[in-house]
Amino acid sequence: MKNIEAFYNLPSEVVFCKKCVMSNQRPASIPEFKHNRKRDGAKYMQIDVEGICDACHQAEVKDTIEWEDREKELKDLLDKHRRNDGKYDCLVPGSGGKDSVYQAHILKYKYGMHPLLTTWPPILYTDYGYENYKNWIEVGGFDNITYKQNGKVMKLLTRLAIENLFHPFQTFIIGQKNIAPKIAANFGIDLVFYGENEAEYGNPIADNSKSLRDKSYYTMDHIDEMLLAGTPVSEILDNHDVDLVDLNTFLPLPAKDFEKTNMQIHYLGYYLKWIPQEAYYYAVEHINFKARPFRTQGTYSKYNSIDDKIDDLHYYTTYIKYGIGRATYDASQEIRNKHLTREEGQLLVNRFDGEFPDRYFDEIMEYIGMKPERFYELCDEFRSPHLWNKDKGEWKLRHNVNKTGIDD
Amino acid sequence: MKHIRIIPRLDIKGPNLVKGIHLEGLRVLGKPEDFTKLYYEQGADELIYQDTVASLYQRNSLTDIITKTAKNIFIPITVGGGLRTLDDINKVLRAGADKVAINTAAIKNPDFITEASHAFGSSTIVIAIETIKQPDNTYLAYTDNGREYTGIDAISWAKEAQSRGAGEILLTSIGQEGTGNGFDLNLIKRVSNLVTIPIIAHGGAANDSHIYEAINGSGADAVAIASMLHYAAINKIDSIVSNNNNEGNMEFLKKKGSFKMFGKENISEIKNQLNKQDIPLRILN
Amino acid sequence: MDVAIIDYKMSNLFSVQAACEKVGLSSIITSDNNEILDAKICILPGVGAFGEAMKSLRESKLDKAIYEFVETGKPFVGICLGLQLLFDSSEEFGNYSGLGLIKGKVKKFKSHSYNSTKYPVPQISWNKINKTNGSWDDSLLYNNTSGDFMYFVHSFFVIPENESVMLSKTTYGNTEYCSSIQQNNIFACQFHPEKSGEIGLNIYKNLKKRYC
Repeated sequence: MKNIEAFYNLPSEVVFCKKCVMSNQRPASIPEFKHNRKRDGAKYMQIDVEGICDACHQAEVKDTIEWEDREKELKDLLDKHRRNDGKYDCLVPGSGGKDSVYQAHILKYKYGMHPLLTTWPPILYTDYGYENYKNWIEVGGFDNITYKQNGKVMKLLTRLAIENLFHPFQTFIIGQKNIAPKIAANFGIDLVFYGENEAEYGNPIADNSKSLRDKSYYTMDHIDEMLLAGTPVSEILDNHDVDLVDLNTFLPLPAKDFEKTNMQIHYLGYYLKWIPQEAYYYAVEHINFKARPFRTQGTYSKYNSIDDKIDDLHYYTTYIKYGIGRATYDASQEIRNKHLTREEGQLLVNRFDGEFPDRYFDEIMEYIGMKPERFYELCDEFRSPHLWNKDKGEWKLRHNVNKTGIDD
Repeated sequence: MKHIRIIPRLDIKGPNLVKGIHLEGLRVLGKPEDFTKLYYEQGADELIYQDTVASLYQRNSLTDIITKTAKNIFIPITVGGGLRTLDDINKVLRAGADKVAINTAAIKNPDFITEASHAFGSSTIVIAIETIKQPDNTYLAYTDNGREYTGIDAISWAKEAQSRGAGEILLTSIGQEGTGNGFDLNLIKRVSNLVTIPIIAHGGAANDSHIYEAINGSGADAVAIASMLHYAAINKIDSIVSNNNNEGNMEFLKKKGSFKMFGKENISEIKNQLNKQDIPLRILN
Repeated sequence: MDVAIIDYKMSNLFSVQAACEKVGLSSIITSDNNEILDAKICILPGVGAFGEAMKSLRESKLDKAIYEFVETGKPFVGICLGLQLLFDSSEEFGNYSGLGLIKGKVKKFKSHSYNSTKYPVPQISWNKINKTNGSWDDSLLYNNTSGDFMYFVHSFFVIPENESVMLSKTTYGNTEYCSSIQQNNIFACQFHPEKSGEIGLNIYKNLKKRYC
């Protein structure tokens, strides 16, 4: 067992958290611009000697925080930045999902701020996702700058990200992380609010005791250091019919430009107790948010991340690369929020994890110009041998949370 | 006179009464027995218990709560959620239920409706139909508590359910459910025009006017209401938030908030209003 | 034992027993002829098909138990299908013969429109029981008032030959029908007293007061 190769610097032994259903193979967020195929420098979920993961520890901490004090901190911060001269005083990035609805609405209607919304649109909007996006703006009542990307470049980079990293979602994630500082800089807005702190999910990079987002996510020092789709920028310029101006959209704000502003990028989740399910109820209550009209493939839920057709495929690739499917992500989060028991989480993982998202698959392949066969080939290339093996000609996980893996 | 029925519907997960929107979400509102007691006293005509996660976890767990209720509350109880076999139905009836609501099992195997109605009597078998309105104004039926797409036309399914022996239809609009935006009247009308068994309309009620519309002119014989009653009842019931609860979203109870425009009327107030508008129903003295 | 509740595999017996318990009547659910004969009161509940029910009663010889019990003069209560089975025959799914204890037959409702209202079948609703010509003082309804709401769930109704056995009548759309009867020691009702709230429980309370 110990001699079997583990790709991506993944821990060679698979361990599951005793409280939730997450495993130590879960990747922590890394700045996408440093993301190469081998995932150099990547970190993974820590599970301590008692068998509890960092995210579960973080959830315990969340219960002990004096949220009234945190809210007071928020109010103080907002008081300093609120403008009544007809100009925007804060920026909320999002795509009209339940979380960005909650952030924007509560800042405007409870705390009296004047937010501008900004959207880096999903690669392929679902129709109900698009309805929610419209309602966010029209029913919620906000201005929104939507930065529609060059379609040709978007398709190219998405395809390259799948080929090089098996990461269909990179082009969306990159933009989501970068667009806010750029728009804020453009409009002279100092205060930017993201939602949840990634630490809630066990990322060691983000520091939970601070409300500020780590700069490495959204600024760049030298363009030569940047990778897109796991490839140096210069290589993309050499090998494909794109200009620097095309790629700049996908790159973050240069650090020196950031230094010229007074911008602060905060996590609202530091100030307000974040319960994803309550954000759903809030969004329905205030802007007629609608859940997906059928179960999301690969999981049991209907209202998490439903705007982008490629999102479903993204979770399939995490299942291939790390053995972690969408049901595992969803169930772990709900277990930590005490909506589900671990037993229920296990049942859900058993039933839904790794379900192939065929609903939008053909459409996506056609959109980015990839043959489905090529995708299946890549699945097999990216499977780490320490996680997968063939059982009667079929790929199966060696280990899973129900202890029914081939090697369990 | 046709007397219509006001039926509180309680969605249950484990020990808790939960209330979702679009049949999604596990917000806990308290203990079911506290609510049913209140509703019985206020004049509820029947009760519906729905196990919201039975299909999801392939487990049936309502028998305790059915028995507890049936010992003290003497109105009909309908139970739904994950009933897959004749044995499942028998267990639930023996525990004290009077009717059973079946959805997923019936769609997967329509013969099951015939078998069940022969075994237990037509009037015991309620076929629950959960629908979502499509952009072309047709209605499709869903299974597994609104999770699985079937592609089946809900209106013609209602007719088929009747011909196979169903005694009653429980008709849910998933799009309206939990929103308080009113019933889907078009849906009720279309099914009412096709079937001659009773229809219980469900999904969207926020006030007595909504209920009036569903009955007068749309053809509902009964209404199942949830959010409208539960969000009002929580103000009367002291639900203790236990930190040991791991089975549902307790955040709302902790905050003790209100939700949307729900919570203005209780059952006796609703019935009085409807009575004033000449809707025949049972009034408690 | 106060009450024997006949178990012929045709219904939800739980609520009948729960109602007995609530008013302080001891009860046993049984298909044993001796246990039935020993009880002070016998209840025949029932939901389902007439034909199936008669088949079941005959095969288990429970029809004999019913005849013997009625002979004793002790109070016999029929509920819903239990009312219908007492009659001569039913037109349900062909023609079936009943216990023949009450002269008359069983007929099916037709779904119809009346006064712009649609009346579906089965009738599943609360409805009023109204006095016929007689008084209720000598019956189990002596504590009830004409016009009380009871819970009905049925597709068939009884038509007694002898109108004098009719205790209450009820209207459903264009049909006025017999909702309860009393003939000597037999009381039977189309509605479910154990599902009719506190007003229905009255009937069980009266059983206790009069006979136990």
